[in-house]
Amino acid sequence: MRIGRATTWRGAACAVLLLVAGVSLAANWIAPEGYAKQYREAADAPPSHAHWLGTDEIGRDRFARVLYGTRISLLLAPAAALLSTLMAALIGGLSGYLGGAWSRAAMAVTDLFLSLPWLFLLITVRAVLPLNVSPLFSVLVTFLILGLLGWTSAARVLCATSATLRDSDFVRQARASGIGAVRLFWMHVLPNLKPVLYAQFWISIPAFILSEANLGILGLGVAEPMPSWGSLLKELEGLVSVGEEPWKLVPLILLAIVVTSFQFVLARQEEAAA
Amino acid sequence: MHSAKPTDVLLSARVSVRYGEKPPVLHDVEVSIRRGEVFGLIGQSGSGKSTLAMTILGLLDRKKSQVEGTIQFEGSNLLQLRERELRELRGCKIALVLQSPLSSLNPALKIRTQLKEAWRAHASGSASDCDAAIRAAMESVSLPASDEFLKKHPSQMSVGQAQRVLIAMATLHRPALLLADEATSALDVITQAEILTLFRQLNRTTGMSILYISHDLASVAGICDRIAILHQGTIVEVGPTGEVMANPRHEYTQKLMAAIPQIMRPIATATAASL
Repeated sequence: MRIGRATTWRGAACAVLLLVAGVSLAANWIAPEGYAKQYREAADAPPSHAHWLGTDEIGRDRFARVLYGTRISLLLAPAAALLSTLMAALIGGLSGYLGGAWSRAAMAVTDLFLSLPWLFLLITVRAVLPLNVSPLFSVLVTFLILGLLGWTSAARVLCATSATLRDSDFVRQARASGIGAVRLFWMHVLPNLKPVLYAQFWISIPAFILSEANLGILGLGVAEPMPSWGSLLKELEGLVSVGEEPWKLVPLILLAIVVTSFQFVLARQEEAAA
Repeated sequence: MHSAKPTDVLLSARVSVRYGEKPPVLHDVEVSIRRGEVFGLIGQSGSGKSTLAMTILGLLDRKKSQVEGTIQFEGSNLLQLRERELRELRGCKIALVLQSPLSSLNPALKIRTQLKEAWRAHASGSASDCDAAIRAAMESVSLPASDEFLKKHPSQMSVGQAQRVLIAMATLHRPALLLADEATSALDVITQAEILTLFRQLNRTTGMSILYISHDLASVAGICDRIAILHQGTIVEVGPTGEVMANPRHEYTQKLMAAIPQIMRPIATATAASL
């Protein structure tokens, strides 16, 4: 009974993610005016027929910005997750397989990264870059940084798993068949790391969405006028009363729904990896 | 069909192996395997049997172990070969079958993929050449070479089938020497008998020499032309199977003989004598 209920929740979570992703991908058709158009006569307006979620303080349609912001966050978070997963596989998986000094060196670097307060590291790295960059560049840099800094925990797990696999009977048997070291890693070790890699990928997506939102709140995320969930949440800084302008909470609610949905989907991946 | 009793030496080893500062695992062990013979190496767990197999294949961790001596195989000293040269020998001239069949096959790969990988390690050719080699190897171990079977993962097979797949993989390139390291220890008695018959059959039909490593004297008696008894890293007795079993000279060999269940002893001795 519990299994059936869990499956239903996972199904609902997948449906929510597909719906949000589908709607955000159709942003060009749903909101053809774009995310940057200003309606100067209706700045900071409440929801209306013309602007379903009202406008921001410089008159941009909030609904359009939520749609485009969702698209950016939902597309780039998986891309950054893919990057961090590949780095974890390369650094953790390969060093564990090679063992010895390689493994020790890779794990020393990993430990160094793990010991750093990563949010502050993220802020520092992002702050080093100029603030007056183009919006597209800022988007790519933000998620690139997330991807480049997010591989550490998974690399440790992968290093240990890979070292165990290196000493396994089937790898020894494959070596005894005359299979070369590169082929051994590619064909015999890597396929057995897949469950851990899948889990790492899915775990990273909501983590990166939240990290981007954190950076956005600090003004270090995606540059204006391009929206992202982070920059949309920044608007909440000036919110005095939730009761008076509840529509401003929509990006926050959407973020909570999407991250929660990812957690439900993720539970399945973790079960598969276990 | 190959001659069962050739006399020219295929592999001649005299080695000592030590891990770090610990006492040697193998101490001046001298083994000589003739072409076409099944040579048995018997000893209890921890006596150094597997270490010898791994030393022959160059699969011991070079940083953790110190190997001294020579292993002459077809004119080369295996201990002086580089990793690349050893890789060319592994699976092609000298193959290995390990103890636990299910853990010796990659759980993430289909059987066909694993056989293909073993084939590709020493052969280049078309997909049909590879399929033909796989089919022949599977037939030689009495397994179906159908698509349905080859698409299976190791977890979908019985232990006996998995061991046959391993043997097919090991004999894919018709090696001159097969190292069977406790290859029947994890099997039930019926499957064990089938695999022993298969080894003997492969030896007779292809002329492949087999170093059959086991702690089980009774199973060794059924297949080996000659046996060596390994005790605490030293060979204490070596000779034709029938002779050693009928007249064990070393105290440890006598203990091993005494350990064979009474009901099995006449059968084992008679089988050994008939070889």
